[in-house]
Amino acid sequence: MSLVEVDNVSHWYPTTAGDRPVLDQVNLSLEHDDILAVVGESGCGKTTLGRMVVGEDAPAQGRIRFDDRDVAGLRGKDFKAYRRAVQVVHQDPYASLNPGLTIEDTLGPAIVHHGLVRRRELQGELIRILAEVGLDATRAFLRRYPHQLSGGQRQRVAIARAMSLRPRLVVADEPTSMLDVSMRLAILDLLLSFREQRQLAYLFISHDFGVVRYFSQAGRIVVMFYGVLVEEGPAEQVIQHPRHPYTYLLLQAIPVPDPGLARRRRRAAIEEHTEGAPAAVGCIFQNRCPFVEPQCRSSRPPLTELTDGHRSACFFPDRVPDVDHLLGAY
Amino acid sequence: MTVTSEPVLSVNDLTVAFGAGPGAIKAVEQVSLQVAPGDIYAVVGESGCGKSTLAYSMLDVIPPPGRVTSGDVQVRGRALGSMSRSELNQLRSAEVSMVFQAAMNSFNPVTTIGRQVEDLLEAHNRVFDSAASGRAYFDELLGMVRLPTERIWRSYEHQLSGGMKQRVAIAVALLLHPSILILDEPTTALDVLNQRLVLDVLRNLHASLGLSVVFVTHDLAVVAELASRVAVMYAGRLVESGTVDEIFTDERRHPYVAALISAIPSVLAEGLQVRPIAGQVPNLAELPAGCRFAPRCPLARAICREAEPPLVADRTGHAVACHVVNEKLVEGTVQ
Repeated sequence: MSLVEVDNVSHWYPTTAGDRPVLDQVNLSLEHDDILAVVGESGCGKTTLGRMVVGEDAPAQGRIRFDDRDVAGLRGKDFKAYRRAVQVVHQDPYASLNPGLTIEDTLGPAIVHHGLVRRRELQGELIRILAEVGLDATRAFLRRYPHQLSGGQRQRVAIARAMSLRPRLVVADEPTSMLDVSMRLAILDLLLSFREQRQLAYLFISHDFGVVRYFSQAGRIVVMFYGVLVEEGPAEQVIQHPRHPYTYLLLQAIPVPDPGLARRRRRAAIEEHTEGAPAAVGCIFQNRCPFVEPQCRSSRPPLTELTDGHRSACFFPDRVPDVDHLLGAY
Repeated sequence: MTVTSEPVLSVNDLTVAFGAGPGAIKAVEQVSLQVAPGDIYAVVGESGCGKSTLAYSMLDVIPPPGRVTSGDVQVRGRALGSMSRSELNQLRSAEVSMVFQAAMNSFNPVTTIGRQVEDLLEAHNRVFDSAASGRAYFDELLGMVRLPTERIWRSYEHQLSGGMKQRVAIAVALLLHPSILILDEPTTALDVLNQRLVLDVLRNLHASLGLSVVFVTHDLAVVAELASRVAVMYAGRLVESGTVDEIFTDERRHPYVAALISAIPSVLAEGLQVRPIAGQVPNLAELPAGCRFAPRCPLARAICREAEPPLVADRTGHAVACHVVNEKLVEGTVQ
């Protein structure tokens, strides 16, 4: 039994120009103690998916199951237990912490609400948690406000808030994209350290394959394009042998910290495919695809298993080059 | 590469302080750099290293209470500090233009982009022969930043994506024909595809308009993709400067720069090849004695905790401020 199952979920947001689809028949599952990374550009639906898994939004169609129970049907005690078991770390630590609350008041109430410690033990517990996330474990620190902290420290507070409830699943939505490069690894390492200590699963949302590669390690990646799941597989497999052209384009777009390689890639770059609307009929990616064929215009390719656990929604997955080609073996 | 032509922009021994007296914080301290015509110059560093303050000083728009306490910035040999208000206005409109950080949030939300461009053209009505030629030039710029002209004129900012707004901001910054474009974190907060687009657009604008570009970033991968020359700042000071290849491949480099490069979770790197930098950036109010990076530095020795290392350039102009690294440099010339 999987920890989370996303079962044929579709969702729309209303706009003045009609309903805009954000998730289109998404199926995925996340096992206990596993890492699943969701990758895609801004607006691909990855944050909406995360919101649904934590119960902040209900899908218009389909079901989200946690521990084999439909999340939409949870009430009372069960709902409370679910909300404790699934925690979230947001992208922007400048927006996710209430500026009017001290660190103590940011972290404390939820722990008490869920009855994890007695009130008189709370301060000791908070100081223990601060130490756990690598913050200054003192009473003075508990009295600080978010504006007195750096971005990295704030994100550690946000992580402390999630971990203090001893969750079984953490949804991390771009947890490092607002941080300095030098802080990113430390935050990723911190998240990974919790996974070693406890039975903990991650739904990791990001647009950055570099960060995803570091974080996912033995986990899995799903790639989304305008609400459609276009590729899914073991992390290294998807990064080194992408089998959907969109994954390839995302990998190709990543800036590389190597000026020589950057110049070679620039020369060899295939034409830009960063714009082009999602198609309503046929393959959703056809308007951006460098390998498009007439067949792609008429029917939608299903998500098909290619090798063990590696699935792609493309009629011509073998045309997609491997990553070593794209990283400069010219 | 030695700079043979006159720099279009030079920063000379610049110190910018916030506050006064012994409690003053020097956000930028004794920084010198020269931007040659046609350079794409990157200023790199982490939050709080002074890179944005340095960029503001290039337009003389340092937010108060910050002020230049020594040194100066010169554009084509003229010091900004000696200019009158009208000369500065002339400079900011016709010579140096800036795209601020989060420029995507710098539009007026209650009026169209087109209306805001009209306002700009009206305020600078001497730049173009007619309003129509100004509008036509903006259309041309929109084409260069790969945006659909008609739609942008009619749009309100909330109708555009972050990546589109960033490119509109770049087009607006170029409207009055500046020769120097300064960008503060031009790709931050964009997803990879929009980052790639902005990088390509900037590279093309640089080539087709003959611009000199200065950009500020914390992302070394973006530096490798775009820059020709690089200056790295740490806690208000310049720790290394050189060509982009020197910064990334020269064996002689500052330990901070080496650490920063290996801290990037790049898609090129297997998990084990990257490692975080230990410790934290020092508080500018409580700087350590000696080298500011010494408390985090794997190479630090006794001297590093006593004396601040000078910036020493080799024959090609590649400059590094590190006692340990410069020890091996015999024929160095002190700047």
